[in-house]
Amino acid sequence: MADADKKVIELFYDTISPYSWIAFEVLCRYRSRWNIDLRLRPFSLAAVVTETGNSPPGRVPAKLKWMGRDLMRQAHFYKIPFRGRKDPNNDMANKDNIKPMFLLTAVSMDCPQHLERLTRELWLRFWSREEDITQPASLEAAATAAGIPADQTAALLAKLQDETVKARLTETTQEALRHGAFGAPTIVAHVGGKPHMYWGSDRFLLIADVLGEEWQGPLTELAHL
Amino acid sequence: PGRWGSSNMAAPVQARKTVEFFYDVLSPYTWLAFEVMCRYQQKWNIDLKLRPFFLAGIMKGADNRPPAMVPAKGQYMTKDVLMLTDMYKVPFNWPSNPTEVMFVKGSVNAGRFLTTVDMNCDQYLEELTRQLFLRIYYRDEDITEPASLLSAAMKAGIPEDLAKQLLSTIKDQTVKDRLRETTQTALDYGAFGSPTIVAHVDGKPKMFFGSDRFELMAHMLGEKWHGPLPELAKAKI
Repeated sequence: MADADKKVIELFYDTISPYSWIAFEVLCRYRSRWNIDLRLRPFSLAAVVTETGNSPPGRVPAKLKWMGRDLMRQAHFYKIPFRGRKDPNNDMANKDNIKPMFLLTAVSMDCPQHLERLTRELWLRFWSREEDITQPASLEAAATAAGIPADQTAALLAKLQDETVKARLTETTQEALRHGAFGAPTIVAHVGGKPHMYWGSDRFLLIADVLGEEWQGPLTELAHL
Repeated sequence: PGRWGSSNMAAPVQARKTVEFFYDVLSPYTWLAFEVMCRYQQKWNIDLKLRPFFLAGIMKGADNRPPAMVPAKGQYMTKDVLMLTDMYKVPFNWPSNPTEVMFVKGSVNAGRFLTTVDMNCDQYLEELTRQLFLRIYYRDEDITEPASLLSAAMKAGIPEDLAKQLLSTIKDQTVKDRLRETTQTALDYGAFGSPTIVAHVDGKPKMFFGSDRFELMAHMLGEKWHGPLPELAKAKI
């Protein structure tokens, strides 16, 4: 199949968004079933929430409780090792959560072949093993676990505060906002020259429809985990 | 062997699983979920129990806010509802003034009317629910006035005399109390919006929120999800 026929799907995501992990794993699995060109776009959920006047869903106690159960059920259904965190609201509000997004942005600029594995490693740290993702040692451990060579890892960590990296993260975030984003994950399917934006990890029936494809369920046999 | 001989000892039919559908007709996503659940009554081994509740009471009880208060989210949901209703073959049209419909006029009379029908002649509850959805979200018609409720009732097949009698009960304390109780039951299950669906599996209640958890619900019920089944659409326009 010629690459030109593949429909581009952009996944705008943030490490602190558990539903983004679900969307990420589903889209990675569907690369082998759908005629798509998946583009990973790390962005800043905190910035999107602020810009749109939104608020984190955990503000409503009953909703937060339900989301915890919902995520455990979905994790089981999709075979994703999500285990939650004791204090998700607090951990998700940490301003240093931008740092893994700088790292992912730098990787997307310099060595995008590592982006998928590093994304997964960060989610495993934060949402599966309740580990830190903000300290340099944590980011180094994630990069190493993702198979990024030591010298490349050192170079990436050295440029986390570079203006070019910050500017790129801001640009990506602005792009998502222009598509109408207000949360994460934000999925944009490009079909017939038009962008089709979807929010969340529960619109795959609609996405399949717009792509002219079939939803084939969770494809747990293709789980990378 | 007599009547109750061994030939009658077939494998027992698995008991139907009770699925409670707590809802308020004020919510567009609720119409989607309602139609899907009605279609799946035939496909799944379930006993669907419609439970009209009062969304404003849920929002208050859970300290929640309507989602469209974030402009970008409201814009997205406007399109999302149209895409989903098109795919699910639910004949939805946005009212000319959704804010007035949802936040000013509200649904207390509709909720009480559904409740009294549930208490007195629940065989009409499904179709009355559908007729109210068609009024508010297909034809942009009122659902607050007695004449509106009467019209919906008659379209639902309720004989005129019975419909008028039921209408006369909507301010009865028993009806108000029942609507309040159902709303509280939903809150006790963890509800914070509409629809709230509670599937009872192995004696345990499993709560689902929204109209986009059917594949997961099927998995937990031990059933198969066949998509929205538009070919089984019941809403006649």
